[in-house]
Amino acid sequence: MTLRLLLVDDDVLVRSGLRVILESEPDLTVVGDAGTGREALDVAARTDPDVVLMDVRMPDMDGIAATAQLVARDPRRPRVLVLTTFEDDDYLFRSLQAGASGFALKRSDPDELVDAIRVVARGTSLVLPDLTRRLIASHAPSRARGAAALPELTVREADVLRLVAGGLSNAEIATELFLSRETVKTHVSSVLLKLRARDRTQAVIAAYESGFMTA
Amino acid sequence: MPPTTFPRSAAEIAVRLRAVVATAASPGWPGRLLYALAGLPIAVLSVAFYFALVGSVVAVIYGIGIVLILAVLAGIRGFAGLERRLARSLLLVDIPDGERVRRLPGVVTRVRRLVMSAGTWRAVGWLGVRVLLGVATLGIIFFGAVAVGGLGFEADWNLLSTLPLLALMAVLTVGTLVLLDLVVRLAAAVAPRLLGAGAEQQIAALQQSSRRLADRNRLARDLHDTIGHALTASLLQATAARRTLTPAGDRPLQPEFARQALEHIETNTRAALAELDRVLSVLRAEDDGRDAAPFAAPSLADLDDLLAGLRDGGLPVALVVDGEVDDVPPGVQELAYRVVQEGTTNVLRHAGTPLTVAQVVRDGAVLVVRVCNERASQLDSRPGPGGGRGLAGLRERTAAAGGTLSAEPTPSGGFELAVTLPLSGAA
Repeated sequence: MTLRLLLVDDDVLVRSGLRVILESEPDLTVVGDAGTGREALDVAARTDPDVVLMDVRMPDMDGIAATAQLVARDPRRPRVLVLTTFEDDDYLFRSLQAGASGFALKRSDPDELVDAIRVVARGTSLVLPDLTRRLIASHAPSRARGAAALPELTVREADVLRLVAGGLSNAEIATELFLSRETVKTHVSSVLLKLRARDRTQAVIAAYESGFMTA
Repeated sequence: MPPTTFPRSAAEIAVRLRAVVATAASPGWPGRLLYALAGLPIAVLSVAFYFALVGSVVAVIYGIGIVLILAVLAGIRGFAGLERRLARSLLLVDIPDGERVRRLPGVVTRVRRLVMSAGTWRAVGWLGVRVLLGVATLGIIFFGAVAVGGLGFEADWNLLSTLPLLALMAVLTVGTLVLLDLVVRLAAAVAPRLLGAGAEQQIAALQQSSRRLADRNRLARDLHDTIGHALTASLLQATAARRTLTPAGDRPLQPEFARQALEHIETNTRAALAELDRVLSVLRAEDDGRDAAPFAAPSLADLDDLLAGLRDGGLPVALVVDGEVDDVPPGVQELAYRVVQEGTTNVLRHAGTPLTVAQVVRDGAVLVVRVCNERASQLDSRPGPGGGRGLAGLRERTAAAGGTLSAEPTPSGGFELAVTLPLSGAA
């Protein structure tokens, strides 16, 4: 299966560089690019990408606003992977909050970048789990209402959510809880459904914001 | 406890001596005792200062000149500085620095601040405190010594009385030291009030440091926007170029892409170096001057330096200034400078090194700033949509100042950035 990508960055050099790098992978194809958030919404509507690689700071609608609009339009697809120059905590957290599935540094190794795109598309684990978890834990304002704030979860689901928030992938959770991968997948799906989270990242944010997980 | 060995060299002896002095000067009772003993000669010096002050006032009455008073006041301020350091190192009290009259520009300003500054007169007051402390210290030491000495020589020492007498002497000695310590603690409590900066000065210092912090943040943001951005773009272009020259599997070789990528990397790096130069010059200026001036916002007068740097970087750029611009408000001047900076950087970034003109025109109540370049000097350079991130920020600032910004290609294939700023605008 080929993943369809949309590149959004206000610098044409970043876009053209990324395009060449990503297209050299057999399972990735760039279906469009855009220089502003607004343009990204148009191109996304036209090209129906699986994953949008989104810059944060852009003129005429930044990446955070564009992500929020994409999510509002259709919570299932496309997934958004935020690309940043530096690890600017505040921007990153806000883009995750807006609905991005993960983030990657523009300077990361091409293989890591490609890997992050595949992970976001699959949704079976977090991108940069440690970094993401730390970011969410330190920024999510816990409303300290305890697990009660979350919808009713079964004991197993709560276990799974705890491990998801800990950054474990489905395979790792399966090993940890002595379950089959399929069962874990079912639990994760039902957790996401109950939390109304579009993906793991959003589930982790919900877990921290509700106080189910604490920093 | 390390084994005691005999010091072998002069250097070793020096190290040990320094250690002893350091212990004496460290916090705790040795420091305070040292401070109390130092109080005696300092009190004498304080009295001398008083006499000098009164004497110079009398001398002025006799018409010798006011310079003498100023010299004495300056001496007292200098002395207060030493006292501040003494109190800091021996008593470990936190005393903020007062105003630096010596650093002020102009002799007249310095003289005026010297006489008018509350710090000067608080320092004079401190001399009085010193005299009182000195007298108290002397009294305590004197009576303590007399009491202990009296017991030693006059009392009837015999087998029975020796122990109680020794105990009494010890109590007297400890009592004397405690009283001395009390005096020193009193000094430590008063010193910050009389030697430290006044409230208004502390507020000013706070404002200055917060301004400096804001400047630093701005610098960091600039770095992120320019150099960080240029490096990222260069990195991605380099990575891509390598992939096109060593394609995976059945992908075609794309030497043309690689050639263009190298060209982009070249111009990006050039622009980044120009920016690095600017940032470093700001930082170096800060190192030299320490005070606020180096971080002062750039003005139109700084444009020459900016463009000279760009010319070194290979951009043929001319500056045209029309009309009287000296009285343009500083905020507007800074914004105008940023326009030229952003415009020329963008030329380097997007168009290479074409002929470029920066123009500043004062037209009645508005200032028009334009950066215009000829057709791009390199292939496949297209201005990014709306320009760089810097341009977005510039647009915001221009709007906030009540001005307008336009950035668009010219009919002849070049590009023009034009900003109109009202002179009344608070940029």
